[in-house]
Amino acid sequence: MMLDVITLFIFNIVIYSIPLLYATCGEIVIEKSGSLNLGVEGTMAIGAVFGFLAGCSANSLPVALLVSFITAALVGAIFSLFTITLQANQNVTGLTITTIGVAVYFFVGNALGKDWPYLPDADKFVQQSSAIEIPGLSQIPLVGKAFFSHNILVYLAVVIAILLWLYFEKTSVGLKLRAIGENPGAADSLGVHIVKYKYLHIMLGSGIMGIGGLYMGLNLGGTFEGSNCWINGYGWIAIALVIFANWSTSKAIFGTFVFGFFNTLRIYNAPLAATFPNALGWLSKIPAQFFSALPFIVTLIVLIVSSMRKSKNSNCPTAIGLNYYREDR
Amino acid sequence: MKSFHLIRRSDVTLKQKVLLYILGIVISFVIGGIFLASLGINPIIYYRDMITIGLIGNRYPAKCVEGFLKLFVPLIITSVALSLSFKMRFWNIGGEGEFITGAIFAALVAFKLGPVLPTTAVIPLMGIAAALAAGVIGFITAHLKVKFNTNETLVTLMVNYIMLYVIKYIGETKAEWNFFLRDDSERPVFAKFPESAMMPGIKIGDFTLLASVIIAILITVGVYYYIKTTKHGFEVSVVGDSTNTAKYAGMSVYKITVRTIFISAALIGLAGAFTAASSGTISTDITNNVGWTGVIVAWLSKLSTPAIALVSVLISVLQYGCQVASASYPSIDHNFADLMQGIFLFSILAADFFGNFKIVKTGGKNDA
Repeated sequence: MMLDVITLFIFNIVIYSIPLLYATCGEIVIEKSGSLNLGVEGTMAIGAVFGFLAGCSANSLPVALLVSFITAALVGAIFSLFTITLQANQNVTGLTITTIGVAVYFFVGNALGKDWPYLPDADKFVQQSSAIEIPGLSQIPLVGKAFFSHNILVYLAVVIAILLWLYFEKTSVGLKLRAIGENPGAADSLGVHIVKYKYLHIMLGSGIMGIGGLYMGLNLGGTFEGSNCWINGYGWIAIALVIFANWSTSKAIFGTFVFGFFNTLRIYNAPLAATFPNALGWLSKIPAQFFSALPFIVTLIVLIVSSMRKSKNSNCPTAIGLNYYREDR
Repeated sequence: MKSFHLIRRSDVTLKQKVLLYILGIVISFVIGGIFLASLGINPIIYYRDMITIGLIGNRYPAKCVEGFLKLFVPLIITSVALSLSFKMRFWNIGGEGEFITGAIFAALVAFKLGPVLPTTAVIPLMGIAAALAAGVIGFITAHLKVKFNTNETLVTLMVNYIMLYVIKYIGETKAEWNFFLRDDSERPVFAKFPESAMMPGIKIGDFTLLASVIIAILITVGVYYYIKTTKHGFEVSVVGDSTNTAKYAGMSVYKITVRTIFISAALIGLAGAFTAASSGTISTDITNNVGWTGVIVAWLSKLSTPAIALVSVLISVLQYGCQVASASYPSIDHNFADLMQGIFLFSILAADFFGNFKIVKTGGKNDA
């Protein structure tokens, strides 16, 4: 019983951290190229709703993945169009992307109303997105089931995070991208095609966020409630997590797990306190809202402390948030 | 291979710019109309219903105007306040958090002092408490920015969510100490303010003109003159242009930044207090996203105070109109207003671009 609680607890941490991992990896890609995209929430909402609807009507997970990636990448293209080509302010453009994205989510949801697809009707889609037990690994006591009996999107997220880490650290294209984020003028003088790099990476990052949105929608059973957006603030937590993970997608795996842990504590603090009254009884006294706020509090502290120490270890791209206009160089 | 590149231009006349903006707005309505038409709704009829905010054929038009003003007051104050910090290129996107802070402190004063003091004392005290509390948040953010170069966008963003969970905690926790909630309810529900903590107003027939409306207009006019005519206002624009210029001119960048952001945040806190006092209670969604909408309004107005006044009216009409219209169009809710706001902003950003830049063809690949 006790062991089951621990397994279930870790299992849920994974579930809550995966959408954050997608969103954080996506935002890291974008921030590495020197753009601060505050539109994560809206981008995820778009990827979620269109990916889900496409998946249901085609009865296929690959279609859902593809559509959520493409629609979210198109949102990224809009962000790029305004901030790179049209030289608009990044903060304002990002906020507007969030406003529009969430509004489109509600628009589509309300428009469909009772025609909103019922997930179990799409049997193949459900089957393809159900849990896969990895042979061997899932037999490990205590943590096996918690880590290795998830649906394919969970494993995909970890693979994406590791691939992106390799991309930034080990490839010359990744290095050029980082140069754009640090000093676009210098990168430009070395012949790096800044506009192309930025467009492609913002679209790539946005697409990854979109898959995170799809995952959230599937986790919530894909039903449209009409009052709450599936994404429910996760996009903003992801922006916080980028800082916490110090702009590294491999650290993001750990960082999202920590933030997922806070969220799971919020939901499971009562059962945990009941199962381990002596060790964890105090948990039930901490309000749920504190756990919800914890990601933001931790990030705020990280932000302030690292800037006070003028931290040399910070990997924050130097040119973040600044538009690059060649003739101003 | 032909390619394009951008050059800045300054040959666009005011008339052309205005035409560009009008074109942008028309295109926005067309895009919104496509959305509406996709649901089988006649966009022209919907827009008519929206823009007239339910005034036509309504037996209680005064209620419509009051509902509109309820959205307008917090929006104009927040937008004007945000424009102050944006002018300094200080990206205070903490409107939500500062607004909530103001509302909580106003409620604190209302519940503690409301029962013992008259309206003439309680309302000003609520405003002062709210402004000071929100101002402190602004002060800390500005201090961190100037002293340690802490990213203010991210700090204010985090504070928004921390304050959101603070108000949720207050609103969802039944406890002995929690005087914010009703005693007579099992479920946690925010209590009504005592009568003395309600925003006073002047009755004109059916219509009640709340004092907050008049103060909001006075604040807008005040900020306009503050920016245009005072030394402080001049300093704000210098720091916004270049902190180095300000330093060489012997200005204290620290003092100017901290002062301006304090004022900006304090005004938003005040807007929170007004909203609380006007509805006589607080709620976890008291902001109605005004912190975000304020950013959009300030930007749509290009940070000009008179333009903010105009755009706030239009956006409030849009929001209230969508609320009203949602009664007769069940498939569209108030989120349509957000959609339109976003489309407006994008159109105006595009119009700005064509007003400031020219696209020219360049010949070869190498000189691109």
